[in-house]
Amino acid sequence: MPTLREIQTAMLAALRVGPLDLATPYIDAAGRTAPLRLRIYRDNIRENFYRALRLTFPVVHRLVGADYFRQTARSFQNRCPSRSGDLKDAGESFPDYLGELHRNDRFGYLQDVARLEWLIQEASLAADHEPFNWQSLAAVDPSVYESLTITLHPTLRLFESPFPALSIWESNVMETQDLAAIDLAGGADRVAIMRRRSLEFLRLKVGELAFLQSLGAGMSFGVAVDCGQAADALFDATGALQRFVSAAAVVEFSVPEI
Amino acid sequence: MRPMPMRSPVESQPTLAPGTGTGAGLGLRAPHHATVVTSWPEAAWFEVHSENYFADGGLAIDTLEKVRSRYPLSLHGVGLSLGSTDPLNRRHLANLKRLCRRLEPALVSEHLAWSSVGGHFANDLLPLPYTEEAVHHVSEHIIQVQDMLERRILIENVASYVAFTASTLTEWEFVSAVADASGCGLLLDLNNVYVTAHNQGFCWREYLAGIPPALVQEFHLAGHEHRESAGESLLIDTHATRVSDAVWDVYAAALRRFGPRPTLIEWDSDVPPFEVLQSEARKADRYRDTAHAHAA
Repeated sequence: MPTLREIQTAMLAALRVGPLDLATPYIDAAGRTAPLRLRIYRDNIRENFYRALRLTFPVVHRLVGADYFRQTARSFQNRCPSRSGDLKDAGESFPDYLGELHRNDRFGYLQDVARLEWLIQEASLAADHEPFNWQSLAAVDPSVYESLTITLHPTLRLFESPFPALSIWESNVMETQDLAAIDLAGGADRVAIMRRRSLEFLRLKVGELAFLQSLGAGMSFGVAVDCGQAADALFDATGALQRFVSAAAVVEFSVPEI
Repeated sequence: MRPMPMRSPVESQPTLAPGTGTGAGLGLRAPHHATVVTSWPEAAWFEVHSENYFADGGLAIDTLEKVRSRYPLSLHGVGLSLGSTDPLNRRHLANLKRLCRRLEPALVSEHLAWSSVGGHFANDLLPLPYTEEAVHHVSEHIIQVQDMLERRILIENVASYVAFTASTLTEWEFVSAVADASGCGLLLDLNNVYVTAHNQGFCWREYLAGIPPALVQEFHLAGHEHRESAGESLLIDTHATRVSDAVWDVYAAALRRFGPRPTLIEWDSDVPPFEVLQSEARKADRYRDTAHAHAA
């Protein structure tokens, strides 16, 4: 008698990439109908995966159309099968897969739109946090400001693209812009994505992005300022800090132990 | 026969108790979130898919916390892959535990199915062969889950389109053996009983008669569709339509055999207006009342 492991291994191989005959020796379905019955599961597996990707990447779905999205979802599923019982996890490497498919054509922006949508999902599911407490900062000796470690909002995700990926996304979701009017060569998007009551997008200058990236990597305020100024000589550290605190992008600080 | 695993030493939790006359609950899906938390409609309780709320924050979990503040709640998992020969996914289990702590649900349930092997997930509810090996294996996993969650869970029979040549037990013997070995309760999905009975050629009455009443803690009711293909008649568990007349008959028989149990109306695809779900719940309540009147 086959073991449970043998049955499951054969059945999943048959259902994922086939042929269905791999599983039919284990199926008691009067022989001729086993493939018909197994195909119900195969169709479910493909449909569930497709729907999960469509939920995570609605703008990519809209941009490429349902037929191409379904076809791409299937080939992606074959290449990168789900490794989680939670289908929200399934699309993590989908942006890279789109990047491979369109490395040498005019649809290279799809990877970055997908990457933006993945970060939006992450931001949507991350923890909430209380706003920054200015009073607690007032109690800190200004001489240690440079060595403060600053915590970003848990939902904050940083995004950078050579394409106007956020403009493309907004034109599809918020209908703020005519997609045809977006110039793909029109410049880069640098964005801080975060969620409080709803999604928020802070467009960033080069120095601001470097500053937030440094803070996110755990560097001190002083080092982050240096990184911001290295990226953009006009980077205004005071203005940036005020902007990110008031936008709740910065939520906490800690004083280094002496 | 291999020795059975030990029962899990779990404490009973506050629950939607059998026999209390609680009205039928509704599966809560995203299209109805806004309706529920703005108008607080009449509903006895709600059940949600646990994985949809695996999150540290955000709109969905916030909404569910509001729902939980007004209605009893049941968490129903679809992704734990209890029957897999892989180890249980610890991250998934940790997410479920965190959700249970946050919401303190009245019921927690999963499917008596597998969906992964070798680390790859099908993300569909695949049936198990009904063997002593599978009883032993899935019972061990259920015990691990109950120990982790520190509560008893319910397991649901799934709709099945295939049977396995390796099976040595009937499905009702299998689910009863798993519940007995693990100490879990049964969530008897009556649509799945009917669909599987049709597809595998057994009698659903025999199924109900083979389940010890004390194991059954919840009923599910849902819609299915009929498909003819290659000269074969198959029923597909779609959750996309009203409960069929045939499954209402199964419900009436189940009420007679098991007594009233928390009963859920499930509708997952082509989700209709909330009022349609409420009308299905009221119909379930009438069946319960009729069964109660006949029993009195």
